[in-house]
Amino acid sequence: MLVNWNYKERNTLVQRLDPRARVIFILCAILAIILTWDLRLLVLWLAFSLLVLRLARLTWAEMRRFWLIVLPIVLFLVTLTALTGRGGEEVYQERHLIWQGSWELFGRRFAPGLSLEQLIFAISQFTRMMSMAALSLLIPFTIHPAQYGITFKGLGLSDKFAVATDLAFRFVPTLGRDFATVLDAQRARGYEVERLGGGLVQQVRHLAPLIIPITIGAILGAEDIIDAMDLRAFGTHPKRTWVTQLVYRRRDYALIAAGVVVVMATIVLRSLGIIRFWVPWEWLTLGGGL
Amino acid sequence: MRTETAPSGNPLTRVLGALIVATVVLFLANLLTTGDKASATGWVLYVVGAVVTMAIYFFFASKPIWQVTTREVVYMAIGAALYGVLSWATNVIQLPSVSLVALRPAVVIPVFFGFVFGPVVGFFSGAVGNILGDALTGWGVYPVWDLGNGLMGLIPGLALAFTDRERAARIVLYLVGAILALFTVLALAFPGVEHPWMGQTMGQWWPFLLVLLVLVVVGYFVLRNVGRRPSLSAGVVWGALGVIVGMAFASIADIWVNGYSVATALLGEFVPAAGGNLFMIVILMPIVLAAWESARARTGR
Repeated sequence: MLVNWNYKERNTLVQRLDPRARVIFILCAILAIILTWDLRLLVLWLAFSLLVLRLARLTWAEMRRFWLIVLPIVLFLVTLTALTGRGGEEVYQERHLIWQGSWELFGRRFAPGLSLEQLIFAISQFTRMMSMAALSLLIPFTIHPAQYGITFKGLGLSDKFAVATDLAFRFVPTLGRDFATVLDAQRARGYEVERLGGGLVQQVRHLAPLIIPITIGAILGAEDIIDAMDLRAFGTHPKRTWVTQLVYRRRDYALIAAGVVVVMATIVLRSLGIIRFWVPWEWLTLGGGL
Repeated sequence: MRTETAPSGNPLTRVLGALIVATVVLFLANLLTTGDKASATGWVLYVVGAVVTMAIYFFFASKPIWQVTTREVVYMAIGAALYGVLSWATNVIQLPSVSLVALRPAVVIPVFFGFVFGPVVGFFSGAVGNILGDALTGWGVYPVWDLGNGLMGLIPGLALAFTDRERAARIVLYLVGAILALFTVLALAFPGVEHPWMGQTMGQWWPFLLVLLVLVVVGYFVLRNVGRRPSLSAGVVWGALGVIVGMAFASIADIWVNGYSVATALLGEFVPAAGGNLFMIVILMPIVLAAWESARARTGR
């Protein structure tokens, strides 16, 4: 049985916009965010992303599961970046130390240091990832599942690839549910995913009880979907029609234009060196560093 | 049902057109922007990639493996969703890892779907699945790595174009073995090259590459000669080639995208990315393939 995304029909400013225009704008915005390391701009992007979630009237109860999964991953990566200092070599060269730790663990001395640049890079990375996650969230939560196919078709995909993308989006929550079921079932049989023993090869082999049932089950279950589509003569006529028709309005063109302008402006400002990694030097005195 | 027809339209014009446009854009970007400049070696690698693309086109374009029927459409969707969900799930639950290797067990999905259901299914599963997995964890969209993941699924699908699949698998084994041996030697020759994000040096990697080489070769012969399962051994070597081509594409593209040097892209980025994925393929691909063959025999599909 297919499980749907947590979509609800709402008469909001976001949902009144054409889904194609929304997807184009989200892609443009994500591209602009990827091209930016200026924390001041990234904070604006995060504020904008949260404002859009607010405009879409998405409640915390609806989004809680998504954020409870994404936040720990983002925080883990950001902490790792901050403590190791890796990942930022391309955007900054100098380092101004603001904290130096030193402690002994199992007879070995650890001396992690935190520079101002590392700290700002980690905060920028956190802001970037949260902004992109918030914008990505808009697709499943504000686009009607029945409009995925026609949206991707409208974005230039062929009929078959549009249907495949539509189905892929729809299968995600179903397979997510199946994964949780398989995990619970294997745990009930004594499988401990948190404590996989043995060597590296053995540990990887122990993942098979998770991967095999969900993969083979999904492929065998697909036969019913294939039969259902074949019985409805899918793909037999060269020109496919869609139940829903999407029509661009003036505001949709404006949204697409805004997305394109944002990306072009980011590229130009970055090329001119105006948008670059930004460090608030006054923080140095606060930290007592150099 | 599959039919023996060539792809419709004139894809050669589109492939050539895309290559010409990409070359012009890259050349202008390299000339006009102020960032790092691609070196002559980078351009040589670009030309090698273009030649390989055209060679694949001429060898495989007329084969029926590119056909997209209802079956392929549904398997594309299943493969992409599975890759996205398993990529996300392995981030959520605690999975084993070692200091050098980032373990991504989900990479077996596009490789398996490509090898069993064809190159189009493999490409779609890898590319769209990677987009879905990245979106679910807030990574954003990285087109170069999406395409690299797509190629990782497409290459194993080319196996379906050969009538003598055992001979094709043997040739692929020689190719994979030679590439792994070459990179083991390169890692020994340039031990100081660093991974651009993790800071590991190549000197740490040569034993792991040597182990991978032994695993691929021994795995191939054990599955083929001792286990009498030539399809599983073929799956391992085609999957290994898919990982090498896909990760090489994404790493080499980073010479232009991130301004890496050729050494950083090929040794610092490609070796760790391909190494971890290859390890997963060598261990998990035969298990998933065996399970699939058993399920197919049981259900009569």
